[in-house]
Amino acid sequence: MKLPLSWLREYVDIGDITPQELSDKLLSIGFEVEEIIMPRNDVKGVVVGKVQQIVHHDNSDKLWICQIDIGAGEPVQIVTGAQNVKQGDLVPVATVGAVLPSGMKLAAAKLRGVDSYGMLCSGAELAVGDDIVDGASVDGILILPTDSVVGDDILHSFGLDDAVLDVSITANRPDCQAIVNIAREISVLLNKKFKMPKLTYKCYGQDNAIPPVEIIEKNLCSRYIGRVIRDVKIERSPKWMRDRLRMCGIRPINNLVDITNYVLLEIGQPLHAFDRKFICDRVLIRKGKSGEKMTALDGKEYCVDDALVIADNEKPLAIAGIMGGEFTSIFPDTKDVFLEAARFERSNIRRTSRKIGLRSDSSARYEKGVDWQSVELGSNRALALIDMLKCGKICENRVCDGVSEPTQKVIETSKQEICSLLGIDIDQKVIISILKKQDISVSTVGKKMICKIPLVREDIDGYADLAEDIMRFYGYDNIISTYSENTHQTKGGLSIHDDNVENLKETMRSLGADEILNYSFISPDAADKLLLRNDDALRQCIALKNPLSRDISVMRTQLVSSMLAVMSRNCARKNNTLRFYELGKVFIAKSLPLTELPQERDVLCVAICNDGDFYTLKSIVSEVASLFGNFEYCEASASYLHPKQSLRIEGQGLCGEFGKIHPLVCENFDLPSDVYVAHIDVTDALNAPIRLAQYTPISKLQPVDRDLALVVKKDVAVGLMLGELKEVNPYISQVKLFDIYDGEQIEQGYKSVAFSMRLQPTEATFSDNDIKNIVNSVIETAQNKYGAKLR
Amino acid sequence: MKLNEIRDEALCKLKAMHAKSERDLAALKTYLFGKTGVLTELMKSLKDLPPEEKPQAGKAINDLRVELIAKCDEKEKELHRLAIEEKLISESIDLSIDRPDHAIGSRHPLNQIRKRLTDYFIGNGYIVYDSPEIETDYYNFQALNVPPDHPARDMQDTFFINDNILLRTQTSSGQIRLMEKFKPPIKMICPGRVFRNDDDSTHSPVFHQMEGLVVDKNVTLCDLKGTLEGFAKFIFGEQTTIRFRPSYFPFTEPSVEVDVSCFNCHGSGCRVCKNTGWIEILGAGMVNRKVLENCGIDPNEYQGFAFGMGLDRITMIQCAINDIKMLWENDVRFLHMFK
Repeated sequence: MKLPLSWLREYVDIGDITPQELSDKLLSIGFEVEEIIMPRNDVKGVVVGKVQQIVHHDNSDKLWICQIDIGAGEPVQIVTGAQNVKQGDLVPVATVGAVLPSGMKLAAAKLRGVDSYGMLCSGAELAVGDDIVDGASVDGILILPTDSVVGDDILHSFGLDDAVLDVSITANRPDCQAIVNIAREISVLLNKKFKMPKLTYKCYGQDNAIPPVEIIEKNLCSRYIGRVIRDVKIERSPKWMRDRLRMCGIRPINNLVDITNYVLLEIGQPLHAFDRKFICDRVLIRKGKSGEKMTALDGKEYCVDDALVIADNEKPLAIAGIMGGEFTSIFPDTKDVFLEAARFERSNIRRTSRKIGLRSDSSARYEKGVDWQSVELGSNRALALIDMLKCGKICENRVCDGVSEPTQKVIETSKQEICSLLGIDIDQKVIISILKKQDISVSTVGKKMICKIPLVREDIDGYADLAEDIMRFYGYDNIISTYSENTHQTKGGLSIHDDNVENLKETMRSLGADEILNYSFISPDAADKLLLRNDDALRQCIALKNPLSRDISVMRTQLVSSMLAVMSRNCARKNNTLRFYELGKVFIAKSLPLTELPQERDVLCVAICNDGDFYTLKSIVSEVASLFGNFEYCEASASYLHPKQSLRIEGQGLCGEFGKIHPLVCENFDLPSDVYVAHIDVTDALNAPIRLAQYTPISKLQPVDRDLALVVKKDVAVGLMLGELKEVNPYISQVKLFDIYDGEQIEQGYKSVAFSMRLQPTEATFSDNDIKNIVNSVIETAQNKYGAKLR
Repeated sequence: MKLNEIRDEALCKLKAMHAKSERDLAALKTYLFGKTGVLTELMKSLKDLPPEEKPQAGKAINDLRVELIAKCDEKEKELHRLAIEEKLISESIDLSIDRPDHAIGSRHPLNQIRKRLTDYFIGNGYIVYDSPEIETDYYNFQALNVPPDHPARDMQDTFFINDNILLRTQTSSGQIRLMEKFKPPIKMICPGRVFRNDDDSTHSPVFHQMEGLVVDKNVTLCDLKGTLEGFAKFIFGEQTTIRFRPSYFPFTEPSVEVDVSCFNCHGSGCRVCKNTGWIEILGAGMVNRKVLENCGIDPNEYQGFAFGMGLDRITMIQCAINDIKMLWENDVRFLHMFK
């Protein structure tokens, strides 16, 4: 909220405190100043001047000689080349010695023989735009509004000589969305007297035909006050009011609208002014009827059938608290005004405003909450301003409806209760005095404190809230550090899941993979880019209702597409050798659209680029899988993988697929062909404790190594064959492939597989015969199952 | 030949030997001790001596033999050592070359910080709790004292999946889930991803928070300060101080913003702290009584405090990262800075 210091000064004497000091103090009571907008200081010596006389320069077609009154006795002579100045105009005059935003310093000059003691300025030269003063953007000299005061400093004239604090108001303090209430807080803070704005006004008789008000929905509108002002004169509001509105970011329109906005800022009470002649018979606060439509002030038509509306006998006049109707508002020819001040229930305003997609300063204010009392306060303040600006004749009588005044909340607490929450001891007298300063009345009965809460403080609900309001002014610096001496000892630690995650990440790290992080949402186009089949479960992505963009609009079901995008981005930057992993969550819906929370599954995605081949990835995958226990491989089916260079792995609580990326997928992601990726669901593995491995005795007997070379058909899967051969005899402790050869000496269509076996005796050393038997049984199995011949 | 002549000759030959004299040594040994070696021959010739000279002569020959064998063995060892030394010299390689066959990988800096922080709190008796990222409105808002259509909802731009299911905007949802499962005394942290519909130069739609919750009898605002001060000193150094200033969160009352003294300038004002001397790092407060009630914990018996911090921000401060986007770029040059 914008807080011009000159406005604040009307209600509390802040003395000569600097804006920075005030900001620091406000911070200590919970109001953070987001920005201090300091007065402009880049213009010096520029004043409002009036053109008394303007004549052509004798020696120039384009130059004019002006005599300008700057309110300092003798007029000054200025030669100008501008063509838009005429006698009687009010203009900004940079006098000799003036400084302009460009850094330029004015000096007396002679233009074609004529002395010139200054310069007339354009809006651009003063660095102001149309938002500050009308006509600032015209090409030529800035012609000032007619109510500008000759001799006035131009910054003052523009209302740019005031400091404005942009204060952030927390959601619990809607009352402080009003300048008077912030002023009240500051008065407590600085220990200065607070002064209420003027609320009195003069009335001119009764309006006997004032439309009666009836609230149908009292739960949505708890108070409504209507007043009539007759014979209004719609004109521009005075400069001071316009300046203040502008400083607060509101565009001045006319005196009546400006007054309603002024009261909104000052008292925090939204108001609405209707043209009295458009109200037919009476004012009803009711729900919109089925199919009912209304054109609002923004010229758009809204369906109001579920919204709360202000209506007369025939039609809706306004969407309650949000915006008035286009055809019932104030026009330049408006004669009589019906001024509304009301309290609408905040959540309903919020709901309606979001539903119909219309927000206004008024609805923004209502959404935060307006209290019961400020309705009358706001109404009276507006009338006082109307009276002061002589906008029209206020009628004495008023119409109103609503619930009766709510009773003040009473909170019973004690010093002990408050101090036990805070952990420090504060004198009861101090507590009571701080509360009283905030208009909270306190009476004591024994140890009890009975606190009566003003209606405007709807946020105060219990002693914890009171504790906060005490601390705000007692000072949080008085909170000391203690170390939970009076609490229980607890046993902390990682969950099994997190412990396993640590284990897995350490493994990945030692395997040389870098950890990456990607967003949890992806593009719905990822599925196509990965060539996913139409019935692939990975296509079942949960969509966001309000995504930031299509690229990040569905929750990921796989980590591959983000991984490939990251690799592609790195490759584009010539980071060519990559070994990455991400351990992240994917979101699997039981059914779509979502009716219950989805499963959040842990997936490990590993990828390498120009950093090894299929076997490199396979060894990484097997290291990971063996962390959790045994595993096996089978045929893969992932559509984004190379059909001949991919495998599925199934292990203890984990399963997934890995292999070379399909060349079409590489094209889709703009990747080199040498990329391999693994995608493994490790959810169950991570949730099961990893058991410490158990020792099995190591034989003290010498093992025996035997090498064999077998010739088999080319399509024999050597890994499977060797795996099976190892199982032929329990004494075979290891089978190690060392060569596959299909060169000249081998028959076409065959290959030679050379491997070594380690035979490990456990009870007694092998005899030659033992060894021969084992080797023979291996050869025999290879012959029978794989058609192998000894080479 | 006389024994001392043999001795002199042998010692002389041994002395002349150098690194490449392996063969000469072998030849010398054959010459001395071989089947027809001089000492062997002398031994044989003993039989021709008169019996009374035999013992003395035999001993003299044998003594010389023992001595020379020892000398030869010694020489042999020396020659072997010399040969190896020579070989070592020939095996010199260019040590200036690197061949990084075994590079370890890097942990993402954010997760390094996350681990540091969790380790700190585990050491102080906190459990680490995981809570869903896709949440219901109840756990993310209502149970945390943010009813539907409450203005506090504007504090956080929420990604919705439908009217009731959303992406959690805060790890505070973990408080509710935990308190529904466990009863006091509770000490937990809940680190994780959170989501907000917000994307600009200082915000990312996905970021990380760490929630902390302590519920027990006799927990006070002073305990909160002590806890956070200990934490701030752990992260930012022993000289760090913290300050509380009032704020508002629907699920705590009183609520505070917590600033730490700037680790860079220690309070005098610098670029890091935007000349304020303080860096805002977390929000905290005493658990709102309504929140305890919502979780079936009697607020008249128990009090608690809660705090929440942005891990991304702390990572950026700690690792001097000036652009939040870097955390998500996954540029390998960035990642390798944090090996």
